[in-house]
Amino acid sequence: MSTRVAARSAAPDAALPRAGVLADAALGVGILMRFILRRNWLRMLIWLIVLAGMVVLVIDSQRSLFPTQADRDAYAKVANTPAIAALTGLPYAAGTLGGILNIKLWMTVAIGLSFAVIFMVNRNGRAEEESGRTELLRSGVLGKNAYSLANWLVFSAFAVVVGLACSAAAISQGLPADGAFVMGGSFAGVGFVFVGVAAIAGQLARTSRGANALASTVLAVSYLIRAVADVNATDDRASWLTWLSPIGWGQQTRSYGENLWWPLLLCLAGGTLLCGIALALERRRDLGAGLLPDRVGPRTASALVRTQVGLSLRLQRGSLIGWTVGIIVGGLFFGGVAKAMVDLLKPDNPITQAFVGGSTNVLDGLLGFFLMANALLVAAFVLQSTDSIRAEEAAGRTEIQWSSAISRVRWAAARMVVPAVASLGLLALSGACVGLAYGAAVDDPSQSGRFALASLAYWPTALLMVGLVVFCAAVIPRAAAAVTWGIYGVVVILSMFGDLFGLPDWVTKNTPFTAVPRLDETFTILPLVVITVLVLVAGGVGLWVLQRRDMVSA
Amino acid sequence: MTTTFAVDVRGLTKRFGTTRALDGLNLQVEAGTVAGFLGPNGSGKSTTIRILLGLLRADGGEATLLGGDPWRDAVQLHRRIAYVAGDVTLWPNLTGGQTIDILGSLRGDLDRDRVDDFLARFDLDPTKKARSYSKGNRQKVALVAAFASRAELLFLDEPTNGLDPLMEGVFTECVAEARAEGRSVLLSSHIFAEVEKLCDTVTIIRDGRTVESGTLKDLRHLKRSTVTVTLDSDPAALEAIDGVHDLIADGGHTSFTVDSVALPRVLTALAALGPRDLVSTPPSLEELFLRHYGVHAAADDHEVARP
Ligand SMILES: Nc1ncnc2c1ncn2[C@@H]1O[C@H](COP(=O)(O)OP(=O)(O)OP(=O)(O)O)[C@@H](O)[C@H]1O
Ligand SMILES: [Mg+2]
Repeated sequence: MSTRVAARSAAPDAALPRAGVLADAALGVGILMRFILRRNWLRMLIWLIVLAGMVVLVIDSQRSLFPTQADRDAYAKVANTPAIAALTGLPYAAGTLGGILNIKLWMTVAIGLSFAVIFMVNRNGRAEEESGRTELLRSGVLGKNAYSLANWLVFSAFAVVVGLACSAAAISQGLPADGAFVMGGSFAGVGFVFVGVAAIAGQLARTSRGANALASTVLAVSYLIRAVADVNATDDRASWLTWLSPIGWGQQTRSYGENLWWPLLLCLAGGTLLCGIALALERRRDLGAGLLPDRVGPRTASALVRTQVGLSLRLQRGSLIGWTVGIIVGGLFFGGVAKAMVDLLKPDNPITQAFVGGSTNVLDGLLGFFLMANALLVAAFVLQSTDSIRAEEAAGRTEIQWSSAISRVRWAAARMVVPAVASLGLLALSGACVGLAYGAAVDDPSQSGRFALASLAYWPTALLMVGLVVFCAAVIPRAAAAVTWGIYGVVVILSMFGDLFGLPDWVTKNTPFTAVPRLDETFTILPLVVITVLVLVAGGVGLWVLQRRDMVSA
Repeated sequence: MTTTFAVDVRGLTKRFGTTRALDGLNLQVEAGTVAGFLGPNGSGKSTTIRILLGLLRADGGEATLLGGDPWRDAVQLHRRIAYVAGDVTLWPNLTGGQTIDILGSLRGDLDRDRVDDFLARFDLDPTKKARSYSKGNRQKVALVAAFASRAELLFLDEPTNGLDPLMEGVFTECVAEARAEGRSVLLSSHIFAEVEKLCDTVTIIRDGRTVESGTLKDLRHLKRSTVTVTLDSDPAALEAIDGVHDLIADGGHTSFTVDSVALPRVLTALAALGPRDLVSTPPSLEELFLRHYGVHAAADDHEVARP
């Protein structure tokens, strides 16, 4: 490294060629890549094992579900429904095991990988910069863009490795190699585009939370665009809209079908372009700044902000607005497509069975499933919101707050009020939106209330998330974020896809979400009571421990 | 004489895993005085202050804060104290003014006139978001909040960390005023001049243990002064006197250090040597401090009387 530094300082500035400038800006990329790998290898390994492991599990379960070609042909005849098209993508080779794998799993892996790279790129990019650690690194002999380049390179490589691992997993289960490689390539391609999306989000937003929200929104919009494209398909060809979505590009490789490689060029070009733009943005801005200049703010705190609950509300204002908009859009979308889907859903289809549970009324079953999906979204909001208890301590801000005249219990309780109350509102809102859009489709405006009420049955579950976060933040403060989100991820998979994976009933019917009586099921109070007791235990123990333990230093 | 202690810590111990952060630390702050708290990096100053703030729980020893227990009575005591950390972290989205208001409201003694006064003195713009403050400006936010409060006891943990010299001057004034108002201050610092200027008493710690404490005057008295003299005769005779160290003779100029107890003997001997000029300098705080930690510390260790 010292020789490179010497070379740099020896170069006369005026004569520095263009390439030299870039090489300068990238000085130290190799070292930094190793640094990032060292700090993230476990996280990356876990994602890799989960994503590639799912491929193995799903192929295995589908092979036993459809053992003969006749079974698969029969399935192919019923697979092409708007529900499947909208949720997991348009089926095109449903008569092959590979095609069935794509229906069951492709979307989950693609989205899982995209979230993984978004979170990890921001964690090492914007979050580091926000915390001021990048300043330390950059003040050394490192190029201006070296840290970002290293970050993007590591996670692009991670996307490729995940793709290859999924290919290998599929081949190990006896799927054709050409299809397996195209499938792996499509995962890597989508992942790479979202490295680019996260790279730009990290330049635009000033906080890692903002960057995550921005990039996740792009992911959600990509998912919705291709859902619309897939629902509006002719035969097994999605509408042209799908080319507007990076997820669409990945799908259009049609692995195990036509096995097209060229859509991956779009991914490659898209991701490179996005990273290039992010690079240009980074060269133009100051360290620590976003692209929007800081505005001045109020000179004094309003009476509201001077209360603990008001402060917590103020700190989450932006994210609360974002979630509200997302919940409204999601609710209207689900409610709007429900009727159209049901018209095409056959009650004896195994997929229908998996999604709508034991319900005899397919429409209510599907709507119930959507309400649960919305409740999962609300739960994600609750986790993020309550996480401020941990985040404030990790950032070192509890030092001034806990040394003020407020007990830790009251302090934490004030931070639990916002997610607890907001989740009640968001659940009612999401139910009302599903009902509103559905009511419009069936010309029955009275539906809103019924759906809002059914959605509220998930409130104890939302409160359970509050309790979970408080418990973890108190008992395992350093690992709390990873553990709570990990638990949430498992619960989402079990609740949404447990039946598809052929897991036993006692698992799939007893998650905090599936245990709640659905719209179409007879209402029973017992699960709600059990969940409420869990809330009180987790929250109570959490607060008790929080009051008694040492503060964790930043 | 009875004195009331704002802070009274005896035999405090605290471990972090296998690290002994505090190992029988003693610290007293008399009510209405400014106490300096010195020690090298990692010696346990911040840990002590965090225990006194009820952020950490002591493993052993006794700590009394304004007559209460810093852990059990934390919330009540916190109404009467203010704290400035060495590295202040604030909410990045809130302005300095909002933050000061929030902290004041938490204590319940927000006084906007006082806040405005200190904002002006520290030359801090309260309308900027904390995100865009420099390190020094973040520090000022906490300082304004602390000085503008009515707290009886101020904990200042390396508070001038990041302040420019002008602002250090303002800070010195503010501490002096706080003392004049009858408030007590515990000031941890690495800046000797600051401590010499401001503090009535000093506690020096090392590896979580108190190695010196007392008024600055007493500490100086116990230690060696540096004497520089111009002599007509040969100074060699001085070397034989018990209590004289580090003698350097350079032509007519001679300098040496002397234990204060040996001073009468030395003066008698000097008188016989025909002194033409004599300067005696008491040890600076820096010298006192470095005696425990400097290059000589290891060699001198056995000489230093241990309590
Ligand atoms: N939360 C913690 N976990 C583990 N060790 C800690 C923790 N806090 C402090 N220590 C250790 O305790 C010792 C005392 O640290 P402390 O921060 O009190 O020192 P200090 O005197 O304030 O130092 P400085 O002058 O650098 O601020 C150090 O060895 C430090 O590494
Ligand atoms: Mg310290």
